[in-house]
Amino acid sequence: MTRRLPPRRRLSRRGWAVSVAVGLGLIGFVGAAQWNSSLARQQVITSAQGVLVRQAEQLQREQEQLRAELAEAEERVQSFQERDEGSQSAQQRLNAELAEARLIAGLTDVIGPGLVIEIADSQRQVPVGEPQANYLVLVDDLRDIIGALWASGAEAITISGSLAENAPAERLVANSSIQGVGAAILVNTAPLVPPYRIEAVGPAGLHDRFLSHPTYLARVARRVEAYGLQFASEARDELTLNEFVGTTRLRWGVPVREE
Amino acid sequence: MRAWVAQISLSLVAVVIGVLLVGQLRSQARPLELSSLSAQELSTLVESLRVRNVDLGDGLADLREQIREYELRDVDGQSNLAIGEEDLERISAFAGLRAVRGQGIEMEIEGSFDPQAVNDLIYELRNSGADAIAVNDIRITARSVAVLGTGAIEIDGVPIGRSFTITAIGSPDGLEAALQRPGGILVLLQQSIEARFVITKSQELEVPATERDLAPQAARAVE
Repeated sequence: MTRRLPPRRRLSRRGWAVSVAVGLGLIGFVGAAQWNSSLARQQVITSAQGVLVRQAEQLQREQEQLRAELAEAEERVQSFQERDEGSQSAQQRLNAELAEARLIAGLTDVIGPGLVIEIADSQRQVPVGEPQANYLVLVDDLRDIIGALWASGAEAITISGSLAENAPAERLVANSSIQGVGAAILVNTAPLVPPYRIEAVGPAGLHDRFLSHPTYLARVARRVEAYGLQFASEARDELTLNEFVGTTRLRWGVPVREE
Repeated sequence: MRAWVAQISLSLVAVVIGVLLVGQLRSQARPLELSSLSAQELSTLVESLRVRNVDLGDGLADLREQIREYELRDVDGQSNLAIGEEDLERISAFAGLRAVRGQGIEMEIEGSFDPQAVNDLIYELRNSGADAIAVNDIRITARSVAVLGTGAIEIDGVPIGRSFTITAIGSPDGLEAALQRPGGILVLLQQSIEARFVITKSQELEVPATERDLAPQAARAVE
């Protein structure tokens, strides 16, 4: 017994042809767009910007080297301070005060309960006529998250998301800067890019207090909802945050001696 | 047989479209490389990195000098207490536990601020390299943040009122220029809220130590 082909066979062939034509048209369109954007990027890199990019990369490498040397020098200073010389009780008192001051200043690795937050740009397509910035993590978002964390009782905070792989997280200290430079956000002048990871150590309940804090709810939570910024947070029983690596010297002032 | 060929062709076309679309979407996604920043942004980044590296280099030189002093005292058999005391002063001042005296600016401010605007002002001073900052007599530490308290803006639990003064130890010219640059924080705030700013440069200012107990309750030093 033979089966007859269905009568729509010929129409189906035409359908195939149309599909392939549309497909090839799409390939052409997307391919051209891709080619154009590659050309544009190539032009940018080969222009004067290339010089600036190389300068920035060179300075970043220098900074990493300086930070490593600073960490090593700090360690040596601490090892001298921890030796028991002169009056033992005076030395012990001084060491205890130094340890306390270092802990408060952010110059010591710390461990404790806390939370982890990750925030990244929205993956939604930006509607025509709407600013792309609405769909990106902005410097204000990071500042609000950090502000809400401090106000919720955080005792130590780090931010990571570096351009350089395996770069240590930036520990926030009294003079830490957070500023936007185009697509990057400078934290302690280290350029970071999303996804940003924020870790904070603080007393129990920090996560809940953060999520209900007005400083978080006022802008960040609304932007997450409205534009689809990727946001996740999780309480942790134990986190270890690295120390601040940088200079602690005062350039324009001196400590006032206690009377 | 022909139907199979057509199906395979169409599948191949679909795969190629998919690959190209992914490439295109990725190239339209947010640039994550330095090369994607504009010349102006790169200039700002280069300048920030340069300033920071000079600062780190100076800090490293200070530490090496300190190490040399320790080594010399070791050789002479002298006590290291004096250097340790100096280190304690420096770290305490950095953390906000000790008052700082030096040159800088004083900014008298009046206006209908919200907490974010106050925090933005503080960040602008930090970004401009201020060594120490106080709002009225409240020393700004790492953990200080302006929030809306019961009817007023508070920092570290202290209300600051509608008129307040910010004192910053730092380069007087550098801090003033950063605050007043075109498109800078003061211009933005004056456009968005009713505010008045009077900046005075000074060679002799003092920022007090924090009155807040900063000893952590949950965070412990890693041994």
